[in-house]
Amino acid sequence: MESSVLTAESLTFGYAGKALLPALDIKIRDGEFWAVIGRNGSGKTTLFRTLLGLQSPVGGRVTHGARWRPAYIPQRAGLDPIVPLRAIEVVSLGEDRDWSFLRFSGKPRRMRALACLREAGAEELYDRQFHELSEGQKQRVMLARMLAGRATVAFLDEPTAAMDSVAERESMELIDRLRHEHGIAVVMVSHFLGVARDVADRVLFLDRELQSVIAGTPAEVFESPVFRRRYGDGVDR
Amino acid sequence: MNVQELLSAFDLFRDPLLAGAIAGLALGLLGIFIVLRRMVFLSAALAQSAGLGVAAAFWVEIVAGFHVSPVLGAGLLTVATGMILFVDTERLKVTREALLALVYIGAGALAVIAGSRIAQEAHDIHGILFGTGVLVRPSDLQALAAGAAVTLLLALLFWRGLVFTSFDSESARVQGLPVRLLQGMLFGLIILMDAVATRALGMLPVFAFSTLPAVGALGITRMLPLAALLAALFGAVAGFGGYLAAFFWDLPVGAAQTRVAAAFAVLGLTIRSLR
Repeated sequence: MESSVLTAESLTFGYAGKALLPALDIKIRDGEFWAVIGRNGSGKTTLFRTLLGLQSPVGGRVTHGARWRPAYIPQRAGLDPIVPLRAIEVVSLGEDRDWSFLRFSGKPRRMRALACLREAGAEELYDRQFHELSEGQKQRVMLARMLAGRATVAFLDEPTAAMDSVAERESMELIDRLRHEHGIAVVMVSHFLGVARDVADRVLFLDRELQSVIAGTPAEVFESPVFRRRYGDGVDR
Repeated sequence: MNVQELLSAFDLFRDPLLAGAIAGLALGLLGIFIVLRRMVFLSAALAQSAGLGVAAAFWVEIVAGFHVSPVLGAGLLTVATGMILFVDTERLKVTREALLALVYIGAGALAVIAGSRIAQEAHDIHGILFGTGVLVRPSDLQALAAGAAVTLLLALLFWRGLVFTSFDSESARVQGLPVRLLQGMLFGLIILMDAVATRALGMLPVFAFSTLPAVGALGITRMLPLAALLAALFGAVAGFGGYLAAFFWDLPVGAAQTRVAAAFAVLGLTIRSLR
């Protein structure tokens, strides 16, 4: 039986003690793909931050399973472009966890980072400055960083937001391939309903205006009255 | 002044030369993080507070009649400033920049006022504010060397953690790195070096060493470890070479050290713009 990497029970989240949405209960299992969808300002990123422990819940609780080993791929705004790091150095950061940055690790660390870049199809980028890469290339490097950290669950915050449709498709295929090969659970915030329709095992739909939270299979969510009220029948993108 | 004169009285000039090199080395290395984390104005405010702390120590001695170590004065004021600058600005509904401006201008004005009340120590105060001091006391050099040793050791030991938190602090938190501790440590090292270096060299070169060598190094290379090495080297050369320049051309020491540091910054920016 698949074990859960994260469980949220009666979870409410928001700011200054005020919940943005009604309480939700979810269980993210090994290797599952969760798509978190909703309009701008619906609380997707706030939920993400709460699940990751970057901010406290307003109510309820989040518990992490024994295999909890998260990787976070923030929106591009989260990465400081003035820090001059090459792609291989960004990937190596994925290895550091807790106090492991105190351990010296020279060539083996570099070799592991190169192997992760190769697996993410970005080996040729190893020596390039990260901030000079295209959005699609950056995404590959960040996925290589996720592999370097041997993550069991990856949180991706709108990873394809700044990409053209070709780069977006390639990126989604890569994410899907890597999660299958490594058994990584993926939780992805996305504006695009197509991601939820085509790739996700489970969908979490948030709507602040309608004060609604729906979690389920894509079919369950897309057939729900609240979702249909918001989007009608159109799940094309 | 010429080389022969310098060598004949080298015992006199050795300590200030060493002090300039040591302060430049440690502050140059810290400068990489100060510049990359956009803390330049923070560094200026801390240096200003350290200057006020030294001036206040003189003032207390004259008015109250008991000795207060200028390094202690500088340390207390920089720590107090650090605590003010790290309050939760969202809760106070002010921007951090507004607080920085208040501290920077307030500390500067108070230091000038303190200086004007201490006529007999006016030369010392002037030296503290603008780095015109020619000589360095052995105790100040020892404090500087100890501060620099701690800074270099911790910066090297915590290098990867500091880089991770500078580039992507949220991912670092998610991966369990002690981000607050790392940020606090970096801030503590800046306070420590500002306090000991301001007493020995003056505010102006301290601020210059903690920004300009890093600007120059980051202009020359985009490889972070090499940039850190170059920044430390540029800082040391600025401290040492600036003092020599002041000696040979009869210039104010702090201003000469600042000019050398500025030359590295201009060099780096020029190289970068030509690429």
